[in-house]
Amino acid sequence: MSLFLIAALPFLGAILPALLIRAGRNASSSAAGAVSLLAFIGLLLNAPAVLRGEVVTAKLTWLPGIGLNANFMLDGLGLLFAGLILGIGLLIILYARFYLSREDPMGQFYTYLLLFQGAMVGIVLSDNILLLLIFWELTSLSSFLLIGYWKHLPEGRQGARMALAVTGSGGLAMIAGMLILGNIVGSYDLSVILQNKALIQSSPYYVPALILILIGCFTKSAQFPFHFWLPHAMAAPTPVSAYLHSATMVKAGLFLMARMWPVLAGTEIWFYIVATTGLVTMLLGAIIANFKDDLKGLLAFSTVSHLGLITMLLGIGTPIAAMAAIFHIINHATFKAALFMSAGIVDHETHTRDIKRLGGLRHLMPITFTIATIASLSMAGIPPFNGFLSKEMMLEETTHTLWANSHYLLPVIAVLAAVFSAGYSFRYIAHVFLGPKRSDYPATPHDPGPGLWLSPAFLVVLVVLIGLFPNAIVGPLVESATAAVVNDAHPPHFHAKLWHGFTPALYMSMAAIAGGLLVLYAHARLERGWLAARRPEAKQIFDSLMGAATRTSRVITDTLHDGALTRYAAIFVLFSLSLAGYAYFSGTTVTPARGTTDASALPILAWVCLVGATLCVVFFHRNRLLSLVVMGIIGLIVSLSFNYLSAPDLALTQISVEVVTIILLLLALNFMPQETPVESTTGRRFRDAVLAIGGGVGVAGLAYAIMTSNSVFPTISEFHLANSYKGGGGTNVVNVILVDFRGFDTFGEIIVLGIAAIIIYAITEAILSSRVRARLLNRKPTFPQAGDAHPLMMVVATRVMMPIALMVAAYIFFRGHNMPGGGFVAGLIAAIAVIMQYMASGFGWATERQRLPYHGIIGSGVLIAAMTGMGAWFNGMPFLTSAFGYIHLEPLEEFEWATAALFDLGVFLAVVGAVMLALESLARYAWQPGIASEHPMDINPERDDALDELQES
Amino acid sequence: MEQYFDILIAFFLVVAGLFGFVGSFGLIKLNDQMSRLHAPTKATTLGVGGVLIASILHSAVSEHHLSLHELLITLFLFLTAPITANFIAKVHVHRHQTPETLPPAGEDSTWATFMTEDKDDES
Repeated sequence: MSLFLIAALPFLGAILPALLIRAGRNASSSAAGAVSLLAFIGLLLNAPAVLRGEVVTAKLTWLPGIGLNANFMLDGLGLLFAGLILGIGLLIILYARFYLSREDPMGQFYTYLLLFQGAMVGIVLSDNILLLLIFWELTSLSSFLLIGYWKHLPEGRQGARMALAVTGSGGLAMIAGMLILGNIVGSYDLSVILQNKALIQSSPYYVPALILILIGCFTKSAQFPFHFWLPHAMAAPTPVSAYLHSATMVKAGLFLMARMWPVLAGTEIWFYIVATTGLVTMLLGAIIANFKDDLKGLLAFSTVSHLGLITMLLGIGTPIAAMAAIFHIINHATFKAALFMSAGIVDHETHTRDIKRLGGLRHLMPITFTIATIASLSMAGIPPFNGFLSKEMMLEETTHTLWANSHYLLPVIAVLAAVFSAGYSFRYIAHVFLGPKRSDYPATPHDPGPGLWLSPAFLVVLVVLIGLFPNAIVGPLVESATAAVVNDAHPPHFHAKLWHGFTPALYMSMAAIAGGLLVLYAHARLERGWLAARRPEAKQIFDSLMGAATRTSRVITDTLHDGALTRYAAIFVLFSLSLAGYAYFSGTTVTPARGTTDASALPILAWVCLVGATLCVVFFHRNRLLSLVVMGIIGLIVSLSFNYLSAPDLALTQISVEVVTIILLLLALNFMPQETPVESTTGRRFRDAVLAIGGGVGVAGLAYAIMTSNSVFPTISEFHLANSYKGGGGTNVVNVILVDFRGFDTFGEIIVLGIAAIIIYAITEAILSSRVRARLLNRKPTFPQAGDAHPLMMVVATRVMMPIALMVAAYIFFRGHNMPGGGFVAGLIAAIAVIMQYMASGFGWATERQRLPYHGIIGSGVLIAAMTGMGAWFNGMPFLTSAFGYIHLEPLEEFEWATAALFDLGVFLAVVGAVMLALESLARYAWQPGIASEHPMDINPERDDALDELQES
Repeated sequence: MEQYFDILIAFFLVVAGLFGFVGSFGLIKLNDQMSRLHAPTKATTLGVGGVLIASILHSAVSEHHLSLHELLITLFLFLTAPITANFIAKVHVHRHQTPETLPPAGEDSTWATFMTEDKDDES
C-alpha cells in the first residue's frame, strides 16, 4: 500500500466514527477499528521490504518554492513506530469501546483518536522536516482535544491546556531549530539531511539548532524540567492515557531524537545535554512515582522515568546504546499500555484510583491481577519478562560510559533509579492487589467482560513472549530500526538473552530488585518524610508563569486595543508617521522634475468647498445630523474631483457608495442621541489635533512629491494599459484590472464583503435575542412621530423610479467591460433601487414582498464567481483565467462575450446581497409593533373612496 | 441659419441664468420657510430646464448629433424636486406648526402630518 494512503487513511477515516455514531456505538467503534486495521495491514505489506533493508518512499512535490514536499519514507525506525502506533491504536479502540460510558460522546472520541493517530503516523513516515513539523503540531492539537475530552472536568481542561502550552511552545522552538538545520544543509528532505553529518556538526549553527530541536523533543517527551505536564494529562480517559503515554505522543520526542541521531549525536554537547537530562528525569520520575497515591499518577511518573531512561540511552551515543533504546521503546510500549489499561479496569470496577483505598483485589479480580502483575514485574525488571532484558542492556551500557571522567557516577545513579523503579512496580502490585480484602470499596469490584481485558491480555502475552524469545520475535525489527537510527546498513547484531553469566549488569539488577523490595517495605516511613519535605509544586509554578504571561499580554492588548476607535486611529497614524518620518530622514529625496500646472477656477472652487466642509465637520461634529450632511458634501466633491480628473469609474463608485453610506448612517443615527457629549479632555484633543495635522501634512507632502517627480521605476499601469484589450478583451482598464488582472483579489474582497454583511446580521440576531429587544420594542421616540410616514407622492415616485434605476444598473453592468461601470457600481445602484422601496413604503411592507433571502444572494454571487474561475481549469488554464470572443448574430451588430462578465455578475450579486443584508439588519432594530402597515401608503384617496362607496351601498 | 440657433441657445442660457439667480436670491431673501421653499424648487427647476434645452440644441446644431441624455436629467429632476419640497414642507409643518396655527383641513379632520392618534379610527 502506498505510504500516502497509510498516512492519509486515519485522517480520511476520522469522519466515519462521528457520522456512524448515529448508527450506534458498535458501528462507530468498528469504523474506527476498520480504518486503523486497514492502515496497519497496509503497513505490514511494506514490512518485508523494510526488513530486507530497503527504504520504501513516496514522493510528491507540494510547495517546492519553500522546500516543502509531501515526501514519505518508511525505514526500520518508521516501521517500528508506525507499527506501535497503529497496533496499539487498534487495541485501544477495542478497549475504549467498553471503557467509555453511555454519557460520553463516543463518535467524537474516535474522531479525535483517529486524527491523533494520523498525525502520529505522519510524523514517523515524513521524509521532509517541514512536513514533519506540520504533523508535529497536529499531534499537539489533537492530543489537546483528547486530553480535554471530558470537558466537564476542570482537571481535564487544565491538563489539556497545560499539555498544549508546553508541547506547543516546544514545537515553536523546534520549528526554529528545524529551519536552521534545513538552512545548514540546503534541503528540508530528511534523507538529504541525514547524509550530511560532517557539514552539520562543523557548522557554527549546530549548537543553537541542537538546543532548539532538543527543547521540542524534551517538551514532547516530558523530560525534566518539562515533565510536569504529563501527570496532569492523566485527567484524560484511561484509553487516551494508555495510548498517548505508552506508544505515541510522548514517544514522538524520542522518535525525533532517534531520527536525528545520525547527524546530531556523537558530540560532547549532545552527550552532556541528552544523557544528563535523561538521567535526571529517570531518577526524579522514579522517586516521585513511589509517593503518588493516584494509580494513573504513579504510572505517569513511571512513564516519565522510563522516557528518561530511553533518552539517556540515546544520549550515550553508541550504536549498542541506541539498540538498547529501541528495544526498550518496544518493551515499554507493551507493558505500559497494559498497565494503564489495567489501571483503567480497576478504576472502572471499583470507582476509585486512590491506592490508599485499594488492596486485596487479587481474589476479586483475578484476571486483572494476573495482567497487572506480569506487566509490573516486567516494568520492575524481573526475568523472564521483556523489561528485564532491556533494563539489563541499559545497566550494561552505563558501566561502559564515562560521565565527567567518572566510571561510577552513571552506573550508581542508574541503579538508584532502578531501585525506585522496582519500588513503585512492586507497590503497584502489593498495595492494589495484595493484602487483606477490604469492605469499603466505593463499588463492588469484579473482573470486567472480555472487551476490557482482551487488549491488555494480548499485550502481556507479548511481554512474556518477547522476554522468552526476544531474538525470534523482535530481533529483525530491532536490528532494522537500529540500522535506521545509526544510519549504517550493518548495525550491531541483536542478541538478547536471559542469562548472560555473572556480569556487572546482573549484580546491578539484583541490587535494584533488592533495593526495590526495601523501598516497598519502608514505604510508610519514606512517605512521611516525603510529605514533610518542602517540594516545588510544578503546577503552581506553571500557573503563576502562565498567569504572569496572560496578565502581561492583557496589559499590552488592553493598552493598544481598548475598544476606542480614536485610539486605533491614533496608533495607526502615529505608526505610519514614524515610518514615513524614518524613510524621509534616512533616505534621499527626489528633486521635482515636473512643473506644476495652473489651477483653473473650477478646482479652486471645489477645493474651497472641500476645505470649508471639512472645517465644518471639525467644528460641528457634535451635532451628528449636521456633520452627516457635511460629510455628504465632502463625498460629492470627491466624486466630482474624480470625474474632473478623468476617473469616471471611481466617480461612479464613489457616488454610489456615498449614497448607501449616508443611508446606513442615517439609520444608525436613529438610535443615537442628537448631540455627542464632550468626553475628551483638552490634552487629548490637542494630541488628536497634532496627529491629524501631522498625518494630513504628511499625505499632502507625499502626494506633492509623487506628482512633481518622475516615477523611479516603470509603473504597472503601463502593463495594464498595454494588455487590457489584447489580454482581457476590454477597453475599460479599471474594470479589466478588477475582473481579470487582479480577479483573485476581487474574489477575496467579495467574500470579505459577504462575511462582513453576515456578521452584521449575526450581531443583530444576537442583540435582538437579548434583553435589548425589550428596550427597543418599548422605546419612546425623541420626537412626536409624523402621521403620514409613507406619503403618496414618495411611494408613487419610487415605484416609477425602480424600473428606471434597475435599467441604469443593467446598463452600467453591461457596458462595464469597455466603458466606465461594472458589477460593483451596478450592484450598488440595484441596491439603491430596492432601498428606495424600503424607505418609501416601509420596512414591513417591502420585506413581505422580498422573496429571495439576501444570504442566498451573497452566496450565489460568491459561487458564480468561483465557478467562473474554476471554469478555466477545464481549458487547462489557471484559476480565473478569462476568455472572450466576438459573436455575430445577423440582425444585431457584432458584440463581445467574455467570461469576465459572468465573474462580474458574481460581484454584482454579492454587492447587492451584502448591502441589502446590512441595511435590513440595521432596519430591524427600529421595528416596533404596530408600525408595519399592510398598505404601501398611509393615505390613499382611492382606498378612502372605495370605503365610502362600500358604506353607501 | 446657424447664428439664429446660436441666438436661441444664448436666449435659453440667459433665461436659465436668470431663473437660477432668482431662485438663489429668493432662498436668501424670502422670510419664512414655507415661502422660501418656492424659490429653489420652482425657479431653479426652470433654470436647470433652460440649461438642458440649450444643451440639446447645442449638440444637435453645432455637433450634429442628437443627444437626449438631458431628457433623462429632466425626468429625474421632475421626479425628485417636488418630493424634496414636499418632504421639507412636511418636516416644517410637523416640527414648527400645530393644527391650530394652520388653515382648516377641509373635509379631513386634520392635516396628514399630525394624524397619528386617530389612525385606528380611520380603518
